[in-house]
Amino acid sequence: MRILVSIDDTDDLESRGTGELASLIAADLETNGWGKSSFVTRHQLLVHPDIPYTSHNSAMCFSAEIYADALDEVIAHASSFLARESAAGSDPGLCVAAIDGLAAPDEIIAFGRRAKESVMTKEEAYAAARRLGVHLSEHGGTGQGVIGALAGAGLRLGGNDGRLKGSIPLGPPGGVVSVADLSRREDVDAVRAFDGRPLDGNEMVRVGEKVKTVMLEGKAVLLVTAAAAADGPAWQTCPRQQLKRY
Amino acid sequence: MEQMEAGLPEFPRGTEDWSTAARVAALCAEFRPDVEEEQVADEAGSCYNCRYRRWSVDSITCCKRQRPG
Repeated sequence: MRILVSIDDTDDLESRGTGELASLIAADLETNGWGKSSFVTRHQLLVHPDIPYTSHNSAMCFSAEIYADALDEVIAHASSFLARESAAGSDPGLCVAAIDGLAAPDEIIAFGRRAKESVMTKEEAYAAARRLGVHLSEHGGTGQGVIGALAGAGLRLGGNDGRLKGSIPLGPPGGVVSVADLSRREDVDAVRAFDGRPLDGNEMVRVGEKVKTVMLEGKAVLLVTAAAAADGPAWQTCPRQQLKRY
Repeated sequence: MEQMEAGLPEFPRGTEDWSTAARVAALCAEFRPDVEEEQVADEAGSCYNCRYRRWSVDSITCCKRQRPG
């Protein structure tokens, strides 16, 4: 069965990031033989004076294909992990959503979108989780992280939000690689221009620093932009600041 | 920039003044890079990439400079 595991509000200014905890849970899932984890995505939620957050208000989510009888173990493990590993004073929340049997996938996606635009409450999050039949739990502090955790799962399910954790190792900046070669990589599902256009496989791309993919249509997409230099390849990988809005 | 250099917490140039944020970070003894997934500036040393910045609606705030002492 396919699940989404989403966490939020686990850190403080000095602790490990929420993304690292998500990666550790994803790795544990495989180590324990419960299934196979996919990449972690980072989802930006609303920044607003009425919302308590450490520094950026983002949720982290990964999907996994697990054995059906492992669901309870995954939830128990992630719960105890968050309770143990989250920073003191943080407000961690956990959402585990079994996608295949989800009663109303549109509702969890809509919750995620709303959490990017308006201030949501814990009560709204728990009520939505009950209607949807997804696991939602808090593991310390105020438990405010349940809002972001549910939202992160919704945004990941929607497939058009967030940046993938980590960068794509394409060698030193300045190298040139074809779209076809980029598309063959396991960590790149598709290559597109920043405006969304697909590119021909024979088009060439200059590699920049810290190359990252974003989530579009459920895929890990490498976005490229018109090259700054007149000579050389027509495209270059998007600088990090250009990907800020994802 | 001048405000942050003078020890005030709020960055007065908004959320996308990349060059100024890099210049301030280069002068800041408290700068420490945030985790990779939370970095948004291309310059590794940038207030926008600092673990101690807190995003607000219009800008960022330096949490180190907010602390007493």
